[in-house]
Amino acid sequence: MSDFISARGIKRCVSYLVVGGWALFSVFFVVWVVLASLKRNRELFGSPLSIPTSPQWGNFVKTWVNNRFGDYFINSLLVTSVSVIAILIVAVPAAYVLSRGRFRGREALSSFFAFGMGVPFPLLFVPLFVMMASMRLADTLTGLTIVYVALSIPFTIYVLEGFFSSLPSELESAAIIDGCSDVQVFRHVMLPLAGPGVATVAILNFVGLWNEYQLSLVLINSPENRTLSLGIYSLITSMQYSGGDWASLFAGVTIVMVPTLILFVILSEKMISGITMGGVK
Amino acid sequence: MMRRRMVFAFLAPALLLYLGFLILPAVQAFYLSFYDTSGFGDTAEWVGLSNYATLWGDSVFWRAMRNMALIMFVGGVATFGLAFLFTMLMNAGMKGKKLFRTLIFMPNVIAVVAITTFWSFVFMPRYGMLTSFLKAIGLDGIASTAWTAPENVFYAMMVGLVWISVGFYTILIMAGADKIPADMYEAARLEGASTFQIFRQITLPMIWDVILITLILWAIQAVKIVEFPYAFGGPNIDQNLYTPAIYLYIMGFGQRESVYALGYSTTIGVVMFFLTIAIIVLMRFLFRRERVEF
Repeated sequence: MSDFISARGIKRCVSYLVVGGWALFSVFFVVWVVLASLKRNRELFGSPLSIPTSPQWGNFVKTWVNNRFGDYFINSLLVTSVSVIAILIVAVPAAYVLSRGRFRGREALSSFFAFGMGVPFPLLFVPLFVMMASMRLADTLTGLTIVYVALSIPFTIYVLEGFFSSLPSELESAAIIDGCSDVQVFRHVMLPLAGPGVATVAILNFVGLWNEYQLSLVLINSPENRTLSLGIYSLITSMQYSGGDWASLFAGVTIVMVPTLILFVILSEKMISGITMGGVK
Repeated sequence: MMRRRMVFAFLAPALLLYLGFLILPAVQAFYLSFYDTSGFGDTAEWVGLSNYATLWGDSVFWRAMRNMALIMFVGGVATFGLAFLFTMLMNAGMKGKKLFRTLIFMPNVIAVVAITTFWSFVFMPRYGMLTSFLKAIGLDGIASTAWTAPENVFYAMMVGLVWISVGFYTILIMAGADKIPADMYEAARLEGASTFQIFRQITLPMIWDVILITLILWAIQAVKIVEFPYAFGGPNIDQNLYTPAIYLYIMGFGQRESVYALGYSTTIGVVMFFLTIAIIVLMRFLFRRERVEF
Protein backbone atom coordinates (compact mmCIF):
# COMPACT_ATOMS: atom_id res chain seq x y z
CA MET A 1 0.00 0.00 0.00
CA SER A 2 2.76 2.44 0.91
CA ASP A 3 4.49 1.48 -2.35
CA PHE A 4 1.32 2.41 -4.19
CA ILE A 5 1.09 5.76 -2.45
CA SER A 6 4.67 6.71 -3.14
CA ALA A 7 4.42 5.68 -6.79
CA ARG A 8 1.39 7.90 -7.08
CA GLY A 9 3.22 10.62 -5.22
CA ILE A 10 6.14 10.49 -7.63
CA LYS A 11 3.79 10.61 -10.58
CA ARG A 12 2.12 13.68 -9.15
CA CYS A 13 5.46 15.35 -8.54
CA VAL A 14 6.48 14.70 -12.12
CA SER A 15 3.17 16.16 -13.39
CA TYR A 16 3.70 19.33 -11.39
CA LEU A 17 7.31 19.55 -12.51
CA VAL A 18 6.48 19.18 -16.20
CA VAL A 19 3.41 21.43 -16.34
CA GLY A 20 4.71 23.86 -13.71
CA GLY A 21 8.11 24.06 -15.38
CA TRP A 22 6.59 24.91 -18.73
CA ALA A 23 4.28 27.49 -17.13
CA LEU A 24 7.17 29.05 -15.20
CA PHE A 25 9.11 29.50 -18.41
CA SER A 26 6.47 32.04 -19.51
CA VAL A 27 7.12 33.99 -16.32
CA PHE A 28 10.85 33.64 -16.83
CA PHE A 29 10.50 35.05 -20.35
CA VAL A 30 8.73 38.21 -19.17
CA VAL A 31 10.96 38.79 -16.16
CA TRP A 32 14.12 38.13 -18.16
CA VAL A 33 13.16 40.60 -20.92
CA VAL A 34 12.37 43.33 -18.39
CA LEU A 35 15.65 42.72 -16.54
CA ALA A 36 17.58 42.65 -19.81
CA SER A 37 16.14 46.04 -20.72
CA LEU A 38 17.66 47.50 -17.55
CA LYS A 39 21.18 46.18 -18.03
CA ARG A 40 24.32 47.50 -19.58
CA ASN A 41 25.18 45.61 -22.75
CA ARG A 42 28.36 44.21 -21.24
CA GLU A 43 26.36 42.88 -18.31
CA LEU A 44 23.69 41.45 -20.63
CA PHE A 45 26.22 39.41 -22.57
CA GLY A 46 28.55 38.63 -19.68
CA SER A 47 25.94 37.34 -17.25
CA PRO A 48 22.59 36.99 -19.03
CA LEU A 49 20.89 35.44 -16.03
CA SER A 50 21.89 38.00 -13.40
CA ILE A 51 19.89 40.81 -11.86
CA PRO A 52 21.05 44.24 -13.09
CA THR A 53 23.45 45.79 -10.57
CA SER A 54 22.37 49.34 -11.31
CA PRO A 55 19.18 49.62 -13.38
CA GLN A 56 19.86 51.51 -16.60
CA TRP A 57 16.68 53.52 -17.04
CA GLY A 58 18.59 55.38 -19.70
CA ASN A 59 17.94 52.44 -22.06
CA PHE A 60 14.26 53.35 -22.03
CA VAL A 61 14.95 57.05 -22.56
CA LYS A 62 17.16 56.15 -25.49
CA THR A 63 14.60 53.83 -27.06
CA TRP A 64 11.63 56.10 -26.36
CA VAL A 65 13.26 59.33 -27.60
CA ASN A 66 16.24 58.60 -29.87
CA ASN A 67 14.79 55.48 -31.45
CA ARG A 68 11.36 57.15 -31.67
CA PHE A 69 9.46 54.47 -29.81
CA GLY A 70 7.38 57.25 -28.29
CA ASP A 71 6.02 58.03 -31.76
CA TYR A 72 5.59 54.34 -32.57
CA PHE A 73 3.70 53.82 -29.33
CA ILE A 74 1.26 56.60 -30.22
CA ASN A 75 0.87 55.20 -33.75
CA SER A 76 0.14 51.72 -32.41
CA LEU A 77 -2.29 53.04 -29.82
CA LEU A 78 -4.09 55.20 -32.37
CA VAL A 79 -4.39 52.57 -35.09
CA THR A 80 -5.39 49.84 -32.67
CA SER A 81 -7.99 51.85 -30.73
CA VAL A 82 -9.63 53.41 -33.77
CA SER A 83 -9.71 50.02 -35.51
CA VAL A 84 -11.31 48.29 -32.53
CA ILE A 85 -14.00 50.96 -32.18
CA ALA A 86 -14.73 50.85 -35.91
CA ILE A 87 -14.84 47.04 -35.90
CA LEU A 88 -17.44 47.09 -33.13
CA ILE A 89 -19.54 49.76 -34.84
CA VAL A 90 -19.61 47.73 -38.03
CA ALA A 91 -19.64 44.14 -36.82
CA VAL A 92 -21.99 44.22 -33.80
CA PRO A 93 -25.11 45.27 -35.76
CA ALA A 94 -24.26 42.88 -38.59
CA ALA A 95 -23.77 39.94 -36.23
CA TYR A 96 -27.02 40.82 -34.46
CA VAL A 97 -29.03 40.78 -37.67
CA LEU A 98 -27.30 37.62 -38.87
CA SER A 99 -28.07 35.70 -35.70
CA ARG A 100 -31.51 37.08 -34.68
CA GLY A 101 -33.05 38.23 -37.92
CA ARG A 102 -35.31 36.15 -40.13
CA PHE A 103 -34.75 36.81 -43.79
CA ARG A 104 -33.95 34.83 -46.88
CA GLY A 105 -30.27 34.09 -47.44
CA ARG A 106 -29.34 34.70 -43.81
CA GLU A 107 -27.41 31.47 -43.41
CA ALA A 108 -25.72 31.85 -46.76
CA LEU A 109 -24.61 35.34 -45.84
CA SER A 110 -23.35 34.09 -42.51
CA SER A 111 -21.21 31.44 -44.20
CA PHE A 112 -20.05 34.00 -46.72
CA PHE A 113 -18.63 36.11 -43.89
CA ALA A 114 -17.11 33.01 -42.25
CA PHE A 115 -15.39 32.19 -45.54
CA GLY A 116 -13.17 35.23 -44.94
CA MET A 117 -11.50 33.38 -42.07
CA GLY A 118 -10.23 30.81 -44.55
CA VAL A 119 -8.56 33.33 -46.87
CA PRO A 120 -4.81 33.40 -46.16
CA PHE A 121 -3.91 37.07 -45.69
CA PRO A 122 -0.68 36.81 -47.73
CA LEU A 123 -2.92 36.28 -50.78
CA LEU A 124 -4.09 39.87 -50.25
CA PHE A 125 -0.67 41.51 -49.79
CA VAL A 126 -0.16 42.63 -53.37
CA PRO A 127 -3.78 43.49 -54.27
CA LEU A 128 -4.22 45.48 -51.04
CA PHE A 129 -0.97 47.32 -51.61
CA VAL A 130 -1.95 48.21 -55.18
CA MET A 131 -5.45 49.20 -54.08
CA MET A 132 -4.16 51.39 -51.27
CA ALA A 133 -1.65 53.01 -53.60
CA SER A 134 -4.39 53.84 -56.12
CA MET A 135 -6.51 55.37 -53.33
CA ARG A 136 -3.49 57.35 -52.12
CA LEU A 137 -3.75 55.51 -48.81
CA ALA A 138 -0.55 53.49 -49.13
CA ASP A 139 1.87 54.16 -46.31
CA THR A 140 -0.78 55.91 -44.18
CA LEU A 141 -2.18 54.94 -40.82
CA THR A 142 -5.68 55.56 -42.23
CA GLY A 143 -5.11 52.93 -44.91
CA LEU A 144 -3.76 50.48 -42.36
CA THR A 145 -6.78 51.08 -40.13
CA ILE A 146 -9.25 50.43 -42.96
CA VAL A 147 -7.51 47.16 -43.80
CA TYR A 148 -7.44 46.12 -40.14
CA VAL A 149 -11.16 46.75 -39.78
CA ALA A 150 -12.11 44.91 -42.98
CA LEU A 151 -9.93 41.89 -42.26
CA SER A 152 -11.16 41.59 -38.66
CA ILE A 153 -14.82 41.44 -39.69
CA PRO A 154 -15.11 37.67 -40.36
CA PHE A 155 -13.71 36.52 -37.02
CA THR A 156 -15.54 39.23 -35.05
CA ILE A 157 -18.90 38.48 -36.63
CA TYR A 158 -18.35 34.74 -36.15
CA VAL A 159 -17.72 35.06 -32.42
CA LEU A 160 -20.47 37.65 -31.88
CA GLU A 161 -23.06 35.52 -33.67
CA GLY A 162 -22.38 32.88 -31.05
CA PHE A 163 -23.03 35.37 -28.27
CA PHE A 164 -26.21 36.80 -29.79
CA SER A 165 -27.74 33.43 -30.55
CA SER A 166 -27.19 32.30 -26.95
CA LEU A 167 -29.41 35.12 -25.62
CA PRO A 168 -32.95 34.16 -24.53
CA SER A 169 -35.71 35.19 -26.94
CA GLU A 170 -38.28 35.84 -24.16
CA LEU A 171 -36.88 39.29 -23.43
CA GLU A 172 -36.98 40.14 -27.09
CA SER A 173 -40.66 39.16 -27.34
CA ALA A 174 -41.52 40.98 -24.12
CA ALA A 175 -39.91 44.17 -25.41
CA ILE A 176 -41.84 43.92 -28.68
CA ILE A 177 -45.12 43.42 -26.79
CA ASP A 178 -44.26 46.50 -24.73
CA GLY A 179 -44.14 48.44 -27.98
CA CYS A 180 -40.42 48.61 -28.68
CA SER A 181 -39.43 49.04 -32.30
CA ASP A 182 -36.88 46.64 -33.82
CA VAL A 183 -34.05 49.13 -33.42
CA GLN A 184 -35.09 49.82 -29.82
CA VAL A 185 -35.07 46.10 -29.05
CA PHE A 186 -31.48 45.96 -30.29
CA ARG A 187 -30.40 49.18 -28.61
CA HIS A 188 -32.05 48.76 -25.20
CA VAL A 189 -32.48 45.02 -24.71
CA MET A 190 -30.14 42.86 -26.75
CA LEU A 191 -27.08 45.09 -26.90
CA PRO A 192 -26.76 45.43 -23.11
CA LEU A 193 -27.24 41.68 -22.76
CA ALA A 194 -24.50 41.04 -25.29
CA GLY A 195 -22.17 43.42 -23.43
CA PRO A 196 -19.78 40.73 -22.18
CA GLY A 197 -19.50 39.26 -25.67
CA VAL A 198 -18.83 42.66 -27.21
CA ALA A 199 -16.17 43.31 -24.57
CA THR A 200 -14.55 39.96 -25.36
CA VAL A 201 -14.22 40.61 -29.08
CA ALA A 202 -13.01 44.14 -28.34
CA ILE A 203 -10.16 42.81 -26.17
CA LEU A 204 -9.24 40.01 -28.57
CA ASN A 205 -9.10 42.43 -31.49
CA PHE A 206 -7.14 44.96 -29.47
CA VAL A 207 -4.47 42.42 -28.55
CA GLY A 208 -4.38 40.93 -32.04
CA LEU A 209 -4.02 44.28 -33.80
CA TRP A 210 -1.57 45.69 -31.24
CA ASN A 211 0.71 42.77 -32.07
CA GLU A 212 -0.08 42.71 -35.81
CA TYR A 213 2.92 42.73 -38.02
CA GLN A 214 2.54 41.26 -41.51
CA LEU A 215 0.01 43.72 -42.93
CA SER A 216 1.79 46.74 -41.48
CA LEU A 217 5.02 45.42 -42.98
CA VAL A 218 3.37 45.46 -46.41
CA LEU A 219 1.44 48.71 -46.12
CA ILE A 220 3.70 51.00 -44.06
CA ASN A 221 6.98 52.32 -45.34
CA SER A 222 7.90 55.68 -43.77
CA PRO A 223 9.59 55.72 -40.38
CA GLU A 224 7.08 58.22 -38.96
CA ASN A 225 4.18 55.82 -39.61
CA ARG A 226 5.72 52.77 -37.99
CA THR A 227 3.87 50.81 -35.36
CA LEU A 228 5.76 49.33 -32.40
CA SER A 229 6.31 45.93 -34.03
CA LEU A 230 7.74 47.61 -37.14
CA GLY A 231 9.85 49.80 -34.87
CA ILE A 232 11.44 46.78 -33.26
CA TYR A 233 12.05 45.15 -36.62
CA SER A 234 13.72 48.28 -38.00
CA LEU A 235 15.82 48.61 -34.84
CA ILE A 236 17.08 45.07 -35.43
CA THR A 237 17.85 46.01 -39.04
CA SER A 238 19.78 49.12 -38.04
CA MET A 239 21.72 47.18 -35.40
CA GLN A 240 23.35 45.29 -38.24
CA TYR A 241 25.33 48.41 -39.07
CA SER A 242 25.69 50.17 -35.75
CA GLY A 243 26.57 47.15 -33.65
CA GLY A 244 24.27 45.47 -31.21
CA ASP A 245 22.67 47.62 -28.55
CA TRP A 246 20.60 44.70 -27.35
CA ALA A 247 19.71 46.32 -24.04
CA SER A 248 17.88 49.17 -25.78
CA LEU A 249 16.26 46.65 -28.10
CA PHE A 250 14.89 44.81 -25.10
CA ALA A 251 13.63 48.13 -23.75
CA GLY A 252 11.64 48.35 -26.99
CA VAL A 253 10.44 44.78 -26.54
CA THR A 254 9.30 45.66 -23.01
CA ILE A 255 7.40 48.67 -24.33
CA VAL A 256 5.49 46.58 -26.89
CA MET A 257 4.64 43.75 -24.52
CA VAL A 258 3.65 45.54 -21.31
CA PRO A 259 0.25 46.89 -22.48
CA THR A 260 -1.08 43.53 -23.67
CA LEU A 261 0.37 41.78 -20.62
CA ILE A 262 -1.45 44.19 -18.31
CA LEU A 263 -4.68 43.48 -20.20
CA PHE A 264 -3.99 39.77 -19.92
CA VAL A 265 -3.33 39.88 -16.18
CA ILE A 266 -6.69 41.62 -15.64
CA LEU A 267 -8.73 39.81 -18.28
CA SER A 268 -7.09 36.44 -18.93
CA GLU A 269 -10.26 34.46 -18.19
CA LYS A 270 -12.30 36.52 -20.63
CA MET A 271 -9.67 36.30 -23.34
CA ILE A 272 -9.16 32.55 -23.03
CA SER A 273 -12.88 31.82 -22.98
CA GLY A 274 -13.37 34.06 -26.00
CA ILE A 275 -10.71 32.24 -28.00
CA THR A 276 -11.88 28.79 -27.03
CA MET A 277 -15.46 29.77 -27.89
CA GLY A 278 -14.37 30.92 -31.32
CA GLY A 279 -12.29 27.83 -31.91
CA VAL A 280 -14.19 25.02 -30.28
CA LYS A 281 -17.86 25.93 -30.60
CA MET B 1 -40.30 42.01 -36.00
CA MET B 2 -37.25 43.24 -37.82
CA ARG B 3 -37.98 45.46 -40.77
CA ARG B 4 -36.14 44.92 -44.02
CA ARG B 5 -34.76 48.42 -43.73
CA MET B 6 -33.08 47.61 -40.44
CA VAL B 7 -31.65 44.34 -41.74
CA PHE B 8 -30.19 46.21 -44.65
CA ALA B 9 -28.84 49.13 -42.64
CA PHE B 10 -27.24 46.86 -40.05
CA LEU B 11 -25.57 44.63 -42.61
CA ALA B 12 -24.48 47.15 -45.23
CA PRO B 13 -21.37 48.69 -43.60
CA ALA B 14 -19.83 45.32 -42.67
CA LEU B 15 -20.70 43.82 -46.03
CA LEU B 16 -19.25 46.75 -47.99
CA LEU B 17 -15.96 46.72 -46.10
CA TYR B 18 -15.74 42.95 -46.36
CA LEU B 19 -16.47 42.96 -50.08
CA GLY B 20 -14.25 45.93 -50.84
CA PHE B 21 -11.15 45.07 -48.83
CA LEU B 22 -11.20 41.31 -48.53
CA ILE B 23 -13.25 39.65 -51.27
CA LEU B 24 -12.33 42.10 -54.04
CA PRO B 25 -8.56 41.90 -53.41
CA ALA B 26 -8.86 38.11 -53.17
CA VAL B 27 -10.51 38.05 -56.61
CA GLN B 28 -7.93 40.50 -57.95
CA ALA B 29 -5.20 38.18 -56.72
CA PHE B 30 -6.41 35.44 -59.06
CA TYR B 31 -6.51 37.89 -61.92
CA LEU B 32 -3.04 39.26 -61.11
CA SER B 33 -1.52 35.80 -61.12
CA PHE B 34 -2.01 35.70 -64.91
CA TYR B 35 -0.04 38.90 -65.42
CA ASP B 36 3.53 40.06 -65.33
CA THR B 37 3.68 43.45 -63.64
CA SER B 38 5.76 45.53 -61.30
CA GLY B 39 2.73 47.65 -60.47
CA PHE B 40 4.21 51.11 -60.86
CA GLY B 41 3.02 52.71 -64.05
CA ASP B 42 4.03 49.93 -66.38
CA THR B 43 1.23 48.11 -68.14
CA ALA B 44 0.58 44.63 -66.93
CA GLU B 45 1.33 42.01 -69.52
CA TRP B 46 -0.91 38.96 -69.86
CA VAL B 47 1.26 35.88 -69.51
CA GLY B 48 -1.37 33.19 -69.05
CA LEU B 49 -0.19 30.34 -66.88
CA SER B 50 3.47 31.20 -67.23
CA ASN B 51 3.77 32.40 -63.61
CA TYR B 52 2.49 29.00 -62.48
CA ALA B 53 4.90 27.20 -64.80
CA THR B 54 7.84 29.24 -63.50
CA LEU B 55 6.77 28.57 -59.93
CA TRP B 56 6.65 24.84 -60.62
CA GLY B 57 10.32 24.91 -61.61
CA ASP B 58 11.44 27.36 -58.92
CA SER B 59 13.68 25.59 -56.41
CA VAL B 60 13.35 28.38 -53.85
CA PHE B 61 9.59 27.94 -53.89
CA TRP B 62 9.95 24.21 -53.30
CA ARG B 63 12.31 24.82 -50.44
CA ALA B 64 9.70 27.12 -48.93
CA MET B 65 7.08 24.41 -49.46
CA ARG B 66 9.33 21.90 -47.76
CA ASN B 67 9.74 24.21 -44.78
CA MET B 68 5.98 24.63 -44.65
CA ALA B 69 5.56 20.85 -44.60
CA LEU B 70 8.16 20.53 -41.86
CA ILE B 71 6.32 23.11 -39.76
CA MET B 72 3.05 21.30 -40.42
CA PHE B 73 4.28 17.81 -39.56
CA VAL B 74 7.36 18.05 -37.31
CA GLY B 75 6.10 21.20 -35.59
CA GLY B 76 2.62 19.71 -35.48
CA VAL B 77 3.72 16.51 -33.78
CA ALA B 78 5.70 18.51 -31.20
CA THR B 79 2.91 21.01 -30.59
CA PHE B 80 0.06 18.53 -30.34
CA GLY B 81 2.16 16.02 -28.42
CA LEU B 82 2.91 18.59 -25.76
CA ALA B 83 -0.63 20.00 -25.78
CA PHE B 84 -2.04 16.48 -25.29
CA LEU B 85 0.49 15.77 -22.56
CA PHE B 86 -0.42 18.94 -20.65
CA THR B 87 -4.15 18.33 -21.07
CA MET B 88 -3.74 14.78 -19.82
CA LEU B 89 -1.65 15.74 -16.80
CA MET B 90 -3.79 18.72 -15.84
CA ASN B 91 -6.99 16.69 -16.12
CA ALA B 92 -5.59 14.00 -13.83
CA GLY B 93 -6.60 16.16 -10.88
CA MET B 94 -3.85 18.74 -10.66
CA LYS B 95 -4.41 21.70 -8.41
CA GLY B 96 -4.01 25.16 -9.88
CA LYS B 97 -5.08 23.98 -13.33
CA LYS B 98 -6.42 27.41 -14.24
CA LEU B 99 -3.25 29.22 -13.27
CA PHE B 100 -1.06 26.79 -15.20
CA ARG B 101 -3.29 27.03 -18.23
CA THR B 102 -3.20 30.83 -18.11
CA LEU B 103 0.60 30.94 -17.84
CA ILE B 104 1.11 28.38 -20.61
CA PHE B 105 -1.11 30.50 -22.88
CA MET B 106 0.53 33.81 -21.95
CA PRO B 107 3.15 34.06 -24.75
CA ASN B 108 0.26 34.27 -27.20
CA VAL B 109 -0.71 37.78 -26.10
CA ILE B 110 2.82 39.08 -26.67
CA ALA B 111 3.87 40.56 -30.02
CA VAL B 112 5.57 38.02 -32.28
CA VAL B 113 8.52 40.37 -32.85
CA ALA B 114 9.05 40.55 -29.10
CA ILE B 115 9.13 36.77 -28.84
CA THR B 116 11.48 36.31 -31.78
CA THR B 117 13.87 38.95 -30.40
CA PHE B 118 14.17 36.91 -27.23
CA TRP B 119 14.80 33.67 -29.14
CA SER B 120 17.34 35.40 -31.40
CA PHE B 121 19.24 36.34 -28.26
CA VAL B 122 18.98 32.78 -26.96
CA PHE B 123 20.39 31.26 -30.15
CA MET B 124 22.88 34.02 -30.97
CA PRO B 125 26.23 32.60 -32.06
CA ARG B 126 29.02 32.79 -29.46
CA TYR B 127 27.40 35.26 -27.04
CA GLY B 128 23.88 33.85 -26.94
CA MET B 129 22.10 32.76 -23.80
CA LEU B 130 22.07 29.09 -24.77
CA THR B 131 25.81 29.11 -25.45
CA SER B 132 26.63 30.78 -22.12
CA PHE B 133 24.28 28.41 -20.32
CA LEU B 134 25.86 25.33 -21.88
CA LYS B 135 29.33 26.64 -21.07
CA ALA B 136 28.30 27.30 -17.48
CA ILE B 137 27.24 23.67 -17.00
CA GLY B 138 30.42 22.45 -18.65
CA LEU B 139 29.07 21.27 -22.00
CA ASP B 140 31.61 23.22 -24.05
CA GLY B 141 31.36 20.70 -26.87
CA ILE B 142 27.69 21.44 -27.59
CA ALA B 143 28.12 25.09 -26.63
CA SER B 144 30.15 25.81 -29.73
CA THR B 145 27.27 24.76 -32.02
CA ALA B 146 26.28 27.55 -34.39
CA TRP B 147 22.54 27.51 -33.79
CA THR B 148 21.82 30.07 -36.47
CA ALA B 149 23.99 28.45 -39.12
CA PRO B 150 22.06 27.56 -42.30
CA GLU B 151 21.71 23.91 -41.32
CA ASN B 152 20.35 24.67 -37.83
CA VAL B 153 18.47 27.95 -38.11
CA PHE B 154 15.19 26.39 -39.16
CA TYR B 155 14.96 24.16 -36.10
CA ALA B 156 16.09 26.99 -33.83
CA MET B 157 13.11 28.95 -35.17
CA MET B 158 10.86 25.94 -34.68
CA VAL B 159 11.67 25.81 -30.96
CA GLY B 160 10.22 29.26 -30.40
CA LEU B 161 7.30 28.62 -32.72
CA VAL B 162 6.35 25.42 -30.94
CA TRP B 163 6.70 27.18 -27.60
CA ILE B 164 3.97 29.71 -28.36
CA SER B 165 1.81 27.26 -30.34
CA VAL B 166 1.67 24.77 -27.47
CA GLY B 167 0.02 27.44 -25.31
CA PHE B 168 -2.59 28.20 -27.92
CA TYR B 169 -3.52 24.60 -28.73
CA THR B 170 -3.48 23.50 -25.09
CA ILE B 171 -6.26 25.92 -24.18
CA LEU B 172 -8.35 24.83 -27.18
CA ILE B 173 -7.96 21.13 -26.40
CA MET B 174 -8.52 21.67 -22.68
CA ALA B 175 -11.68 23.64 -23.35
CA GLY B 176 -12.97 20.64 -25.27
CA ALA B 177 -11.94 18.24 -22.50
CA ASP B 178 -13.63 20.42 -19.86
CA LYS B 179 -16.99 19.72 -21.47
CA ILE B 180 -16.70 16.00 -20.73
CA PRO B 181 -18.85 15.12 -17.70
CA ALA B 182 -16.65 14.66 -14.63
CA ASP B 183 -18.43 11.45 -13.57
CA MET B 184 -17.03 9.67 -16.62
CA TYR B 185 -13.52 10.29 -15.36
CA GLU B 186 -14.47 9.27 -11.86
CA ALA B 187 -16.03 6.01 -12.99
CA ALA B 188 -12.92 5.18 -15.02
CA ARG B 189 -10.66 6.03 -12.14
CA LEU B 190 -12.67 3.82 -9.78
CA GLU B 191 -12.26 1.00 -12.28
CA GLY B 192 -8.53 1.51 -11.97
CA ALA B 193 -7.79 3.11 -15.33
CA SER B 194 -4.45 4.92 -15.61
CA THR B 195 -4.09 8.56 -16.57
CA PHE B 196 -2.98 7.58 -20.05
CA GLN B 197 -5.79 5.06 -20.46
CA ILE B 198 -8.34 7.66 -19.40
CA PHE B 199 -6.90 10.11 -21.90
CA ARG B 200 -6.78 7.52 -24.66
CA GLN B 201 -10.17 5.87 -24.04
CA ILE B 202 -12.29 8.77 -22.81
CA THR B 203 -10.85 12.20 -23.50
CA LEU B 204 -9.65 11.62 -27.07
CA PRO B 205 -12.84 10.02 -28.47
CA MET B 206 -15.06 12.49 -26.62
CA ILE B 207 -13.31 15.54 -28.04
CA TRP B 208 -12.73 14.14 -31.51
CA ASP B 209 -14.53 17.07 -33.15
CA VAL B 210 -12.41 19.59 -31.23
CA ILE B 211 -9.24 17.79 -32.27
CA LEU B 212 -10.32 17.81 -35.91
CA ILE B 213 -10.91 21.57 -35.77
CA THR B 214 -7.59 22.26 -34.04
CA LEU B 215 -5.72 20.08 -36.56
CA ILE B 216 -7.32 21.94 -39.46
CA LEU B 217 -6.50 25.23 -37.76
CA TRP B 218 -2.88 24.16 -37.32
CA ALA B 219 -2.51 23.05 -40.94
CA ILE B 220 -4.04 26.30 -42.22
CA GLN B 221 -1.75 28.34 -40.01
CA ALA B 222 1.26 26.40 -41.25
CA VAL B 223 0.30 27.22 -44.84
CA LYS B 224 0.04 30.96 -44.24
CA ILE B 225 2.73 31.51 -41.63
CA VAL B 226 4.87 34.63 -42.15
CA GLU B 227 5.45 36.55 -38.98
CA PHE B 228 7.39 34.19 -36.72
CA PRO B 229 10.03 32.88 -39.15
CA TYR B 230 10.31 36.24 -40.89
CA ALA B 231 10.95 38.19 -37.71
CA PHE B 232 13.26 35.47 -36.40
CA GLY B 233 15.28 35.62 -39.60
CA GLY B 234 15.71 39.39 -39.36
CA PRO B 235 17.12 41.39 -42.27
CA ASN B 236 18.83 39.23 -44.91
CA ILE B 237 16.69 36.29 -43.85
CA ASP B 238 18.22 32.90 -44.60
CA GLN B 239 16.44 30.95 -47.35
CA ASN B 240 16.27 28.05 -44.94
CA LEU B 241 13.61 30.03 -43.08
CA TYR B 242 11.47 30.80 -46.12
CA THR B 243 7.84 29.75 -46.07
CA PRO B 244 5.63 30.23 -49.14
CA ALA B 245 4.21 33.43 -47.64
CA ILE B 246 7.66 34.82 -46.86
CA TYR B 247 8.77 34.06 -50.41
CA LEU B 248 5.60 35.78 -51.63
CA TYR B 249 6.47 38.87 -49.59
CA ILE B 250 10.06 38.92 -50.75
CA MET B 251 9.17 38.50 -54.43
CA GLY B 252 6.59 41.26 -54.10
CA PHE B 253 8.23 43.81 -51.89
CA GLY B 254 11.73 42.53 -51.51
CA GLN B 255 14.26 43.13 -48.85
CA ARG B 256 16.65 46.00 -49.37
CA GLU B 257 16.46 45.84 -53.15
CA SER B 258 12.83 45.36 -53.98
CA VAL B 259 11.88 42.83 -56.60
CA TYR B 260 8.30 43.98 -57.32
CA ALA B 261 7.40 40.84 -59.24
CA LEU B 262 3.81 41.45 -58.23
CA GLY B 263 2.17 38.92 -60.55
CA TYR B 264 4.59 36.15 -59.66
CA SER B 265 4.33 36.95 -55.98
CA THR B 266 0.55 36.74 -56.05
CA THR B 267 0.69 33.40 -57.83
CA ILE B 268 2.21 31.99 -54.64
CA GLY B 269 -0.77 33.40 -52.71
CA VAL B 270 -3.20 31.65 -55.06
CA VAL B 271 -1.38 28.36 -54.51
CA MET B 272 -1.64 28.94 -50.75
CA PHE B 273 -5.36 29.56 -51.08
CA PHE B 274 -5.93 26.27 -52.90
CA LEU B 275 -3.72 24.45 -50.42
CA THR B 276 -5.92 25.78 -47.63
CA ILE B 277 -9.09 24.57 -49.34
CA ALA B 278 -7.48 21.20 -50.10
CA ILE B 279 -6.46 20.77 -46.47
CA ILE B 280 -9.95 21.50 -45.17
CA VAL B 281 -11.57 19.07 -47.62
CA LEU B 282 -8.95 16.36 -47.08
CA MET B 283 -9.01 16.55 -43.28
CA ARG B 284 -12.79 16.44 -43.17
CA PHE B 285 -12.67 13.36 -45.36
CA LEU B 286 -9.85 11.59 -43.49
CA PHE B 287 -11.28 12.20 -40.06
CA ARG B 288 -14.88 11.34 -40.83
CA ARG B 289 -16.21 9.74 -37.73
CA GLU B 290 -19.41 9.72 -35.78
CA ARG B 291 -19.51 12.56 -33.30
CA VAL B 292 -19.94 11.30 -29.77
CA GLU B 293 -23.09 12.78 -28.32
CA PHE B 294 -23.39 13.37 -24.61
